Amino acid sequence: MDPAIRMTGVTKTFGRMTAVADLDLEVPRGGLYGFIGPNGAGKTTTIRMIMSILFPDAGDLSILGRGSALDAKDRIGYLPEERGLYKRMRVRPFLRYLARLKGADGPDLDRRIAAALGQVGLDGVESKRCDELSKGMSQKVQFVAATIHAPDLLILDEPFSGLDPVSMRMLRDLILEEHRRGATVLFSTHVMPQAEEICEHVIMVHEGRKVLDADLGEIRNRYDPRSIRFEPLDPEADTRGLASIPGVERVRADERGLEILLLAGTDPAATMRRILDATPAACLEISRPRLEDVFVELVAGGGGATDAHRLRASLREAAEEAPA
Amino acid sequence: MTRILHVALRDFVATVATKGFIFGLLVMPAILGAFVIVGPRIFDDDAYRIEGDYAVIDPTGIVLPELRAALDPEAVARRRLEEFRRSLGEAPEMVRSMAEAASAQSIDEVLGPAPNVRLVPLPADTDVEAAKGRLNEETDGARHTALIVVHEHAVQAADPGGELGAYDLYVPPGLDDRDLSFIHRNVRDAIVDARIAARSLDRAEIDALLRVRRQASTTVSPGSERETVRGFNFILPVAFMGLLIMGIMAGGQTMLTSTIEEKSTRVVEVLLSAVSPMELMAGKLLGAVAISLLMIGLYLGIGLVALSSFSMFGLLDPWLILYLLIFFLIGFFVIGSLMLAVGAAVNDLTEAQSLQMPLMLVVMLPWFIWPAVSRNPDSMLAVVVSHVPPVNSFGMVLRLASTQPPPWWEVWLSIGTGLVSVVSAVWVAAKVFRIGLLMYGKPPNFRTLLRWVRAA
Repeated sequence: MDPAIRMTGVTKTFGRMTAVADLDLEVPRGGLYGFIGPNGAGKTTTIRMIMSILFPDAGDLSILGRGSALDAKDRIGYLPEERGLYKRMRVRPFLRYLARLKGADGPDLDRRIAAALGQVGLDGVESKRCDELSKGMSQKVQFVAATIHAPDLLILDEPFSGLDPVSMRMLRDLILEEHRRGATVLFSTHVMPQAEEICEHVIMVHEGRKVLDADLGEIRNRYDPRSIRFEPLDPEADTRGLASIPGVERVRADERGLEILLLAGTDPAATMRRILDATPAACLEISRPRLEDVFVELVAGGGGATDAHRLRASLREAAEEAPA
Repeated sequence: MTRILHVALRDFVATVATKGFIFGLLVMPAILGAFVIVGPRIFDDDAYRIEGDYAVIDPTGIVLPELRAALDPEAVARRRLEEFRRSLGEAPEMVRSMAEAASAQSIDEVLGPAPNVRLVPLPADTDVEAAKGRLNEETDGARHTALIVVHEHAVQAADPGGELGAYDLYVPPGLDDRDLSFIHRNVRDAIVDARIAARSLDRAEIDALLRVRRQASTTVSPGSERETVRGFNFILPVAFMGLLIMGIMAGGQTMLTSTIEEKSTRVVEVLLSAVSPMELMAGKLLGAVAISLLMIGLYLGIGLVALSSFSMFGLLDPWLILYLLIFFLIGFFVIGSLMLAVGAAVNDLTEAQSLQMPLMLVVMLPWFIWPAVSRNPDSMLAVVVSHVPPVNSFGMVLRLASTQPPPWWEVWLSIGTGLVSVVSAVWVAAKVFRIGLLMYGKPPNFRTLLRWVRAA
């Protein structure tokens, strides 16, 4: 069976700026893929090309076995990053309109709309005007609009941006529910922990180029654990000597205890034994490699600590800027 | 095609079902109705009363009695009624029958209050300069509204066969034109009456000899004839051009604002996930043309009902309505599609103003050329504007509704050039629309738009 999405050698430029460069990408049917990268990495441009809103300058695309999303729009649900509603339109006509554009008509359409709204906790808002909805309610309505026609492929561009933690959790559950139903899901985000929490597979892009395309499990196995989390049994214990243990690059204190970063090639098990010998522990564990760490290593691997630090800071800044 | 219809239906309903549209639709007939009903009361021209003291120096001694007779209130009333009936004889049948059914009192109301004038005879040897001074005196009561000085030889020439005199009229500053006309007419009549009396002629007989009643003309068409309706040929081109402009502007403006709204609320990308840009554009054009046709149909319907009720339906050639619709569609798709492109290229209405200025000038042009084209439908100007897009729709409709419609081949040539301009305008608009929809930030200038057209 053809994959849900296949892109081969796709390039898109705007003037002299290359937004996407020679991108190969494949999302199998039924997959739950995260498309991650910092702001300006080319995620939205790639998604717009998948949706045939923009067209590539070079390369080939296949969406649900068709040469273009235009031929499969009724089977695709799309929640764009820049999303909105008709302010003066009421919720039911708005959803009815989008459902009909997606070919989902029929006598039970209103019932399906009511059920979908009920599922996202918006019972009884059908008759409200869109400009009467709160921001969270609007985003739920937009999600319903993207999924009302039970799409085979669901593409979500920064779906969590602007959501409060409760709505974020609810949207995550809804995405997982769509995936369980059988939909292929591809969602983009620049907040990497979100991708870590939901998806099975990650595609990382940076400056228009793919830097990683792997399952989460594979990523965890592939990238050496480079840090150990340590909490001393005695909170007052002197931990200054930990930095001089062979293989330790540096020790960083945070609100939960200490993070001990290891030099490349260091055996973590041996280092852990030495730490225990030096100071009794309440907690000692190998930190799983975070996507952010992986990304920084991939992008700034050869650029030294300064580049890595700068990249990490920009990622955190972007994540904090994302409205909550 | 189904998607296009869904887009068209949404845009149509979103516009037509608003209070603003319904209000706007009714405003035009309401303004016209108010103008007809309330206008005369507001302007109240007939409420003006001619009054005052006229000082008269009459060395002939026979003009003053005639003037006094002419200004007698009963004589004035009789004369006004006669003039009213005479002018009524030239009015359409419907107006005549309505006026004949009206009471004498209501006719008086229409004509306004009767003049109230007092004549102040001055001796023949009065110092004219001193009398003139009375015109500007501030004291109440003594001030004169006019000083009439009849020439000594106004009735009888000084020499046999010599030229007759007339009169001099002096008035204070600010005297209304209606007073002046009233004075001139009555002094003239009094002098003529005095001359006729001095020659022992019969005034009634002379009047009868001079009077030839103006008969209404009859318009003869193949198979029928009817009383000529004056003014219809003047009003028809304006009415058709007005319908054309109103229809194009209503649809074009709807598309412009709805596209800007979709862009600014970011709905557009959601729509583009369901329809292609071309389907979206086609749906919007279809929805807007339906809005305009509804508007034109309503006003045209009101016009036809009005013609029918005045028994003037036969004056309108049904082909004109067909041509109006054809040229409306041409004008709409040329100007409307370009307005749609402007809506897609900008971020808000303020930015749209500068880009749509050339289109507004095209729409305003017919108002400037209308009198010239309507009066001389075969002139070089008329021929040029009826064949050069994008104004050919307006030009040809003006010529078609005029008294000298162009030959059929010219009409179809203009339709042909119009269709070519439709294809070109929609092609350009589609390119700008597709790129502009997802462009935010700095609004494009004309050079950028040209680049988009070349690039897409």
